[in-house]
Formats: sequence, C-alpha cells, structure tokens
Amino acid sequence: MKLITAIVKPHRIEEVKEALRDIGVNGLTTTDVEGFGRQRGHTEVYRGAEYQVDFVPKVKVEVLVSEDEAQGVIDAIEKAARTGKIGDGKIWVTEAEQVIRIRTGERGPDAL
Amino acid sequence: MSVGEAPAGAPAPIARLKDELASLERAYSPGHHGLWSARRRSELVDAALIELYDAATSTWDRAPRTALVALGGYGRGALSPHSDVDLLLLHDGAETAAVAALTEQLLYPLWDAGFTVGHAVRTPAETVQLAAERLDAATATLDGRLLAGDADLLAAAIDPVLTRLRDDVDGFAERLANDARDRRERFGSTAYLLEPELKEGGGGLRDIHAFGWLQTVRDRPLEDDGVLRAAERDQLAAAEEFLTRVRSALHLESGRRTDRLLREQQDDIADAMGFRDETRLIAADGLMRAIFEHARVVDALTEDVIIGRRHPERAPDPVKLSNAGDALALIADAAEHVRPLSPAELDAVEAIASSAELEWSDAIRDAFLRILRAGAGASDGLHALDRTGLLVQLIPEWVDVRCRPQRDPYHRYTVDVHLLRAFDRTSRALSAPDTDDPLEVVTAGHIRERDGALLGALLHDIGKNGEGGHVAVGDRLAATILARMDVEGPTGELARFMVAEHLLLPDTATRRDLGDDDLILDVAARVETPERLAALYLLAKADALATGPSAWTPWRQTLIRELVAKVQRVFERGEMGVEVAERLADAIDMVRELLVGEPPPEVERFVLRMPRSYFLSVPPEQIARHYSTIEPDLGRHDVRTSSRPGSRLDTYELLVVAADRPGLLSWIAGALSLAGLSILTAQVFTTEDGVAADLFEVQGAFEPIVGEERWREFRGVLRKAIEGRVSLEHRMTEKRRHYPERSDTPVTVAVDNDASDFFTVIEVGAPDRVGLLYDITRTLSDMELDVHLAKVATYTDRVIDAFYVRDSVGRKLEDAQQTAKVESAMRARLEG
Repeated sequence: MKLITAIVKPHRIEEVKEALRDIGVNGLTTTDVEGFGRQRGHTEVYRGAEYQVDFVPKVKVEVLVSEDEAQGVIDAIEKAARTGKIGDGKIWVTEAEQVIRIRTGERGPDAL
Repeated sequence: MSVGEAPAGAPAPIARLKDELASLERAYSPGHHGLWSARRRSELVDAALIELYDAATSTWDRAPRTALVALGGYGRGALSPHSDVDLLLLHDGAETAAVAALTEQLLYPLWDAGFTVGHAVRTPAETVQLAAERLDAATATLDGRLLAGDADLLAAAIDPVLTRLRDDVDGFAERLANDARDRRERFGSTAYLLEPELKEGGGGLRDIHAFGWLQTVRDRPLEDDGVLRAAERDQLAAAEEFLTRVRSALHLESGRRTDRLLREQQDDIADAMGFRDETRLIAADGLMRAIFEHARVVDALTEDVIIGRRHPERAPDPVKLSNAGDALALIADAAEHVRPLSPAELDAVEAIASSAELEWSDAIRDAFLRILRAGAGASDGLHALDRTGLLVQLIPEWVDVRCRPQRDPYHRYTVDVHLLRAFDRTSRALSAPDTDDPLEVVTAGHIRERDGALLGALLHDIGKNGEGGHVAVGDRLAATILARMDVEGPTGELARFMVAEHLLLPDTATRRDLGDDDLILDVAARVETPERLAALYLLAKADALATGPSAWTPWRQTLIRELVAKVQRVFERGEMGVEVAERLADAIDMVRELLVGEPPPEVERFVLRMPRSYFLSVPPEQIARHYSTIEPDLGRHDVRTSSRPGSRLDTYELLVVAADRPGLLSWIAGALSLAGLSILTAQVFTTEDGVAADLFEVQGAFEPIVGEERWREFRGVLRKAIEGRVSLEHRMTEKRRHYPERSDTPVTVAVDNDASDFFTVIEVGAPDRVGLLYDITRTLSDMELDVHLAKVATYTDRVIDAFYVRDSVGRKLEDAQQTAKVESAMRARLEG
C-alpha cells in the first residue's frame, strides 16, 4: 500500500478531486498548508502597508491506495494540478506499512 | 435516579419507589417532564427515604442525634429523571459507629436499586466550615431541606452559614459573579452553541438557581428593591420550565445523567417535545432556537444582575417614553455613553415595543444609525434592541435569523449572533483599526460611507432564513429593509453591495488563480471602487472572525490579502474603475449584439476566453469579424489568418491565430517581413487557454496594393517556421543585408516591473527599419521570455513597442541581473 502526498495550488484542488473521483478514488484527505519551495515567499505591498509573505498557501492532498492503483493516482494528480507556472507543487509517494479501518477493524488492503 | 425493576429482596419502600417512578415516567411523554414532574419525583424519593430512615432508627434503643437532609436540586425539590440524589446525614459527632450503620442502611438499598447518590456525613460544624471554603458547598447548604430527624441539627448547620453570608452580601454576590464567569469559560454558552450544556453553560439552569441563592442571602424578594423586574421573574420561570423539560428529555432519551445536548440527540428530543419540521426550519432547529431564546434571556439577566451586579433602586424614577423614536433615542444615548439600561428604562422601552406596530420615521432612523455609530457601545445598543423586542419590530426579517442555529463545521454561533459579532468587528475596525494588520488600517481609511459599511456588516447574512441561496435572498431582503429605513443613496448602495458580494473575496481568493490578470480585472470590474474593495475586505475579515476561532487562518489571510492588493493596484493604475468597467461591459454587450446569429454558448465561451484588454482596445465591429477566426478549436500546428483592407488608405488589417508558444511572435514578424509587408501597429493577445490572437496593421513595403500572392507567401513562410522547416534567422540576415539602415536615432530599452502584478513590461524605442519587430521579438524568445500582450506603434521612422512578458514558468523578471541581461541583449541586437 502507498500513501501518496501532493502539495498543490489552492485553485487546482477542485480539479484534483474531480480527476481522482473519475478514476475511482473514493477517499482522500486535504489540509490547508503553508510553506515554500522554489517559489519562495514574496512581499505584498498595499499602499505602504507591507506584508512579508514567508509561506505560500497551498493545499496538501493525501490518498492511500493499493500498489497497482498508485501510478494512476499520481498521473491524475500531476495532470490536474499542472498549470506550467511556478509553484505548481510536488507529489511524493511513501510506503504505508499498515492501514486499519477503525470502525470495523479491517486491516491491510481491505481497509482501503 | 433510576427507573426500572427493583432488585429482588429490595426493602419495600424502594420497591414501591421504583414502581411509582416508572408510572410517573409513563404518565408523560419524554418531552413533557417539566418542573411539576421534577417536584413529584422528589416527593416520591422523600417518602421512600423517610420510611427507610424511620425503619432504621426505630430499632435503636437510644437513637443518636441525626438529621437526614436533601441538598442541591433535590433540596429544592426538583429531580430530573437521572439527577443525583444528594443527601447529607448530619450528626452530632457522638456515636460514629451508629451513624455509620445508619448511613449503610440508607444508602445500600438506594445503590442496589441503581440510584446515583451523592452523600456526605458531617457534623453541623464541619458543614459550616466547608460552606465557608467553597461556594458550591455554601449554595448546596442554602438549598438544604430536612427530610427526617432532628430539625435543630439542621438549623445548627444552616443558620451560621446564612448569618455569615448575610453579613457580607456583596462578598457572596461577588462569588456568584465569579462562578458565573468561570462556568462561561468552562462550559461555553447555552444561548448559541450547537451542543449546549443545559445546566452549567452561560444561560443554563445553574444561572437561574443563582438568582434564588442571591434572593435567599438578601433575605427579601429581588423585585422589592428593583434588582429584578417582574417581567424578568416571569422570563426566568419560563426558561427554567423549558430547560428542565429539555434536560429531562435528554436524561430519558439517553438513559443516563448527561447535560450536554449533542447533535445526534436533537432530532429525537425535538420529536419528543413536539417540534415538527416547518417550511424553513427543521424540527431540531426549532428545538435549538427555543433553547437559545430562553437561554439568551437568562444569559442577559445574569450579565446584568449577577455578573454586572445591577444596583438596587429603592425608588426607581419612572421613565416616560411617548413613542418608538424616544425609545430608540434613549438606547442611542445609553450606547453612546456605554452604559446599560436601568430596569426602569427597560420597562419603558418594552412597553413601547409591545404597544403597537412600528413605522420607520426619520427620528427612528437617525437614532438607529446613532446606535450603529456608537463604537464601543454599539453592540450593547443592538443587544438592548434585541432583548426588548424592538429589533424584530423594526426589522421583521430578523425573526428568521434570530436564534437560528447553523449546522456546518465552521459556524459556532447562531445566524443573528454571527451578524452582531461581524457588525461589532467591523465597527471596531472603523473606529480603531487593528495596527497589527496594516491592510485593515489602510482599508478602514478608504471608507467614507461608514453607515453603509456598518449596515452591510449587520445585514450580510440576513438571507440565511432557511430559504436557501442566502446571498440572493439576502440581496433581496436588504433592499427591502434599507428602503423601509429610507436609507438611500451611496449609504444604501454600499450596504447592499456588501450583502450581495460578501463572498466575492473569500471565494475568489481560495478557489481561483490569483496569477490570472483577467481574473483580477474581472473582480475589479465587479467591485468598481477602492471604497467598496475596502468594505469587502473589512467584512471578509469580520465575517471570518465572527464565524469561529478557526476561520481567519493565516492561510486564508494571505490569499485574501494578495487578492485585495492586486485589485487595489489595478484601481491605482487606472486599469479598471467605474468608467472602465462600464466601457468593458458596453463593449462586451455590443459584441454579443453583433454576434446575435451565432450560438450563444459559443459566444459566451469566446467572451470568457478572450482577455479583457482585447475588448477594451479593439472596436466591437472588428471583434465580431475576428470571431469566426478565433472561436473554433485549434490544433497544435494550425495557423489561421484573415486579412482585409484597414481603416487607413493602403493599409491592411491582419489577424493571425495560432497555439501560443515561445517565438511565435518573432516568426510572424519575420514571415511578414520576408513577404514584403511592413508592420505599422501590432497588438498581441493570449486567450485563457493559450491561444495567441495577434492583430497587425500592415502595408506593402514596396507597392501599395497587397495581392493574394504576398499573403500566400506570408502564410507559407509562417507555417514552415512553426513546423521548424525553415531558418528565419538565416533568411532575415540575408534580407537585411540588402537594406542598410538609414537612421542613427538612439535605441531605448526600459524594463518596468511596477506596471503590472503579473508581467514585466519591456519598452523598446528604435528607429524603424526592415525586420525590426522580428529582431526585438527574436531577442525576447532567445531569452525564453513569453510575450503575453504587446502593443507596437510606428511614429514616422520611430517605433515604440511595449511587451508584457513572463519567463517560461510564469514569473516576472524581478532579478536585476536578469533585466540587465535583457537590456544589453536588446541593445546589442538593435544597435548592431
């Protein structure tokens, strides 16, 4: 089982959700997050009012999937989140050792 | 308390008590066990305990001095179905073994039968000592009621406690106030939380009991010296009855003692209490609204009397008000002086509120606006309007949002409390902006129509009346309300705008691409003025802060501020404003009219795809002619062109449409030059979906009439260039050799990063010559700069070009080294 984590632009989250729904992913978690990568922060100036924006707002998406679904999910997120401009985000994949559905106690792929 | 079968072998009184409690439970439906039922339950328990006590003590040769005392709620003679039975066994300290035996004989049967018993075994001295230390012990003792045994013993416990408390009434009142504050901290409000604590919460049953204790210690009815009004006593009684019913229903439904009403229990309890779904209010919301209405009264009275320590008035001056205008003026005065209304004033205002239907008048409106403007006292003024019933009289639409719960993960308050809090936040932002938020300071300064901003904040969610689609409903209701108030002109307009558009900033900021220049222009076109933008920002912030602790996150703030800053700069640069917005809307309408024969969905798609600058700079008739060239879907290698005679003699208008890619503009410029066509002006646009629509005014370089042959040559070269089958660079170098340059006027290059939030603007001035535009654009594409928008103009022998560019990943060129490189490359190429 894999945990796929993606950091995407806030305005792409609807497309990402849609794309994942289209390929049959039936559960995901999103979190509003802030951070920086290559995009870095910037300074917002508003008539003398100045804000140092150190962290750029993004949305984190997490999806737990079986081994054979992983690539499809990665492709779907990549396609839906891409605008070609700076700050499109990242996707990374980690091994999920165990998954448990708390309500039923199911374990492993059954719990996905 | 516990109902059900008594265990086998239970003493007769307990077995009988179980039977009687079971029949009491059956006598009413679970939603109708109010104070009467609580009293009856208490009496039944009394009877059983007295019997047990008598039986235990009758067998003794020499009975020790004891008294069996009911405490707390049981002491007051009110037991909810699963309330604890709080008992105190007083003794004189002499015969501890016998007392222990008696305790066992009383408690074991109760425990065995499943009752939850709170018990204490103490001497009167110990009781007095404990009451001195702890407020809850003191108040429990005040509620003490003799069930059986030695009355003198009880008096020995209660009298010193009472005497001590009466010696320092103020001290006791202060302890009650502190307790009320602490409970509000710990349990939250019963008056608006969606899962309220019925007993300990602010506005709950414990608050009502506090009035009883205060009265006991003061030793005369609270009404006697004006601490409580007669009407308020009735309100407390009604609230106690209703909250007791809900609490009893909760005990019966859940089968245990619990005082927090959870969401999942609300449907069942609403049903048990007889609430039914209404058109715009589900039964559970009806239940919650009723709880909130009662608890709000209790909460307000507790704030006034217990926490605010309302002062006794020995002979209250009667307050005379002759009409609603007077009543509002009185509240406005109090709000301006940040003082609460006295009991006599409340009586007078309530008399007006209930006397007749109110009609808005100039006097009422002026006083109402004075309340809104009162700054620190404004909220108190609105609460006074609410509690006296004036608010719903003045704004009948308020009834539907008053005490209406909001069932979503974010909202913490009822709709009306949310509105009042958002109003309060806006009012404070206007009078004393938060210096930690520079944007708030600046925007607050932009608001000239303060009344409008205050009204907009107060009414922004007035559409949450259960109809659905609250923004549209709110817009309609706000129009009615403002007309009724006779608040017209700019004030009314700003208020209505805020109600109709209060979601514009948060929705756009969190869901749309703030790097899209047209999106920012569209928002600016909708907002039109910096004042309205400022009002929407202050409202967005107030709205979030009044929703709950988690709504105004740094995440949200960053996005909303970025949007506001970008829209503001669009205003400052004059790219959008009232006039531009009007011109844009007119131009688009005209285009729609001219394209009336085309399928409307495709026309709309066209309007959305094309940049705003296109509609602002190209005449509608020309746009209508472009439609058939631009609109159809375009393949990766497709090139579409259309040409026709231009507006000036011997000029031609040329449109080239192709998928945008780096270098495209230079290929077109090169192909035109190779085909013997000179470029007089050019405008480059890029659609939202990455299609370049480049518009040229050209003329023949060698002959005034441009024949089909030259157009064909142009298209051929361009196609080959796009497909990579020809080196334009080579052919242009070759061509340029034959046309030596004529002028030596200087080349100017300026890089401007302030003109746009989205692009770096590169301005190039150079003497006109063959292939100039090709050279300039080729330089840009060599540096991997993407031209999004361009304006090219020729003035007798001199060309001034402006290019709006971004790098390959969509960034401006903010690095000084990078811009210097562009400048020097441009000069090198143009100066040769």
